[in-house]
Amino acid sequence: MKKEMSAAAKRRRLNHLLLHAGLFLFAAACVYPLLRIFSVSLRPGDKLVSMDLSLIPAGATFVSYAKLLGDTMFLRWLWNSLLITLATSFIGVSLASTAAYAFSRFRFPGKKVGMILLLSSQMIPAGMLILPLFLMIMKLKLMNTYLGMIIAYSVSSLPFSIWILKGYYDTIPRSLEEAALVDGTSQVGAFWRIILPLSTPALSIAFLFNFTTAWNEYLVARVVLFSSQQYTWTLGLFELQGQYITQWGMFAAGSMLVTIPVLCVFLYSSKWLISGLTLGSVKG
Amino acid sequence: MDILKSIYEVVWFILLVAAGVAALEGYFYTHFKFYARAWFFPAVLGVFPALALAVFGGLLGGYTFKLWLYFLLAEAAIAAFFRYAVKGRHTVPYLLLAPAFVGLALLLVYPFVFEVYLSFHDLKLTTIMMWKNTGTLPFVGIDQYVKVFTTSPLSEVTFWALLGRTLLWTFSNVFFHVAGGFILALMLNNQIRFKGFYRTLLVIPWAMPQVVAVLAMRGEFHSTNGFVNILIGKLLAVFPFLAALGVAPVQWLTDYPLLTCTLINIWLGIPFMMVVILGGLQSISSSYYDAADIDGASYFQKLRFITMPLVRPVMMPAVTLGTVWTFNNINVIYLVTGQAGGTEQADILVSALYKAAFTYNRYSYSAAFAIVVFAMLFFFSVFYLKSFDAAKDER
Repeated sequence: MKKEMSAAAKRRRLNHLLLHAGLFLFAAACVYPLLRIFSVSLRPGDKLVSMDLSLIPAGATFVSYAKLLGDTMFLRWLWNSLLITLATSFIGVSLASTAAYAFSRFRFPGKKVGMILLLSSQMIPAGMLILPLFLMIMKLKLMNTYLGMIIAYSVSSLPFSIWILKGYYDTIPRSLEEAALVDGTSQVGAFWRIILPLSTPALSIAFLFNFTTAWNEYLVARVVLFSSQQYTWTLGLFELQGQYITQWGMFAAGSMLVTIPVLCVFLYSSKWLISGLTLGSVKG
Repeated sequence: MDILKSIYEVVWFILLVAAGVAALEGYFYTHFKFYARAWFFPAVLGVFPALALAVFGGLLGGYTFKLWLYFLLAEAAIAAFFRYAVKGRHTVPYLLLAPAFVGLALLLVYPFVFEVYLSFHDLKLTTIMMWKNTGTLPFVGIDQYVKVFTTSPLSEVTFWALLGRTLLWTFSNVFFHVAGGFILALMLNNQIRFKGFYRTLLVIPWAMPQVVAVLAMRGEFHSTNGFVNILIGKLLAVFPFLAALGVAPVQWLTDYPLLTCTLINIWLGIPFMMVVILGGLQSISSSYYDAADIDGASYFQKLRFITMPLVRPVMMPAVTLGTVWTFNNINVIYLVTGQAGGTEQADILVSALYKAAFTYNRYSYSAAFAIVVFAMLFFFSVFYLKSFDAAKDER
């Protein structure tokens, strides 16, 4: 008996060893490109293009970072992105929060049709609406402005936001509002004072979703913005890499500066983000 | 000073939106609340068409009598609708919904309709100035649709080649996303040390901003300086016999652009599937496995008869979503091949329609192309959802 146990334990240990080896390999494949960007960003100016694979290059410096912040409009691009993204997220979440409440708490003619419309709007390829939006923005004379970008972005995440917020509102017991209504609050007051404060987690998920979508957007920005003063960081990075001579060091430095905060926020919030994704689909 | 100006611009716009929402709510509130009053009709017919003329007259070209008449007729219809049909019922939900749905109508439905309009007209570089000044376009019927199937959207590839490539791209990506995600999720779903650590590292491709990830990977597929070829070179130096098997550094970006894009996209997409499937795996009660152990089931039997069927409901929506996302993925392909002089050998339908519009300025053609692509996607989804429902009923 004892001998058998030890054989099983041995096999388990071997299994675990294999698992660790496999996971380590995959994890390395996932992280390596990021480490490479980091390594390139530290290279001294004369060795930017090289076949070196070491993580910390010989003669590592922060010269690329200094050049990026000093010679290009990188900070300006980040600022543009931040403004556009904050404005779109704010507008998107505000519109979604009330609409989702209507879907969650009321019965009214057209409710089902509205929900179906929301879902089917997700089927319209995003790339398809770029052209009409571009032409509308041109007609409104908002090319190359923040406003054009905010208009183009503001509703793109709206259906999804409504969907997750509705899923969350559904989990808040109605008795809370009923108590408030008995105490003489209006329906809108109950929403404002009870439901909204209770929904902070879902509101932050929706905000985060809106934020990341707009923050990482490239294709609309490409056609709406054309002066480098107004660029978002995605356009700026593409330009750094896309010119005839790739500015590898600056590109890598910029990538690191953008990626690190995004990575932190994502890893910190991924648990809620994923539960939010499933929440909508399960509640139906 | 620049910063102040930009803040001012954006805050001003948000206030404008807020004012628009307030005006909208006020408009509907009046109709919901006072529909039965004696002064309802004269008041709304007097005030709203005049206000609309004042606000929209400038945008739509001139404060004309005709425009006012249109607004008056529209308002009369709306007012009658509210008085005799709505009668003030369901005020709160509709007021809550109004801003979001007006936003969607203006920025999602209207562009869609406008796209359909464009596809039957001729907007290109030579007519765009005319359209800008007069707002009219020559009508060409279904010409654009005929062109979609008979001419090339770019300079060489045909629609059918693009379609084949798109299907290949979608299928291979989704297959590897699901397979890779499944394997990783199975590996992570064990009682091992550093599980959280591995999980964190494994979601990095998903967590990185896509633009950074794709552009960086694009650089790494460079023929001499990218790590892919350098690693192949090192591998060959250690195991020379691999060269006999045809392993050699290649010109990824020029010779195999579609393969390069696919590899990058597989790398990007596996973490999402992994996380979704892992969530499914963790929700499976261990009692099933205990029972199977008592019956002496092998690992693969447990996988086939317990894990697979129980993960399916979690996985199917993710796979559907993943298929649509992959089909519509312009980002990866455009970022890899979109620069001046970029290749067309990796373009799929959606990236071709983006390039047709914005690289070649064939706007109406691109619109017709988009409608065709949308129709395909639409029928696929309807068909797919139907078969999914049927499968559900059978169980």
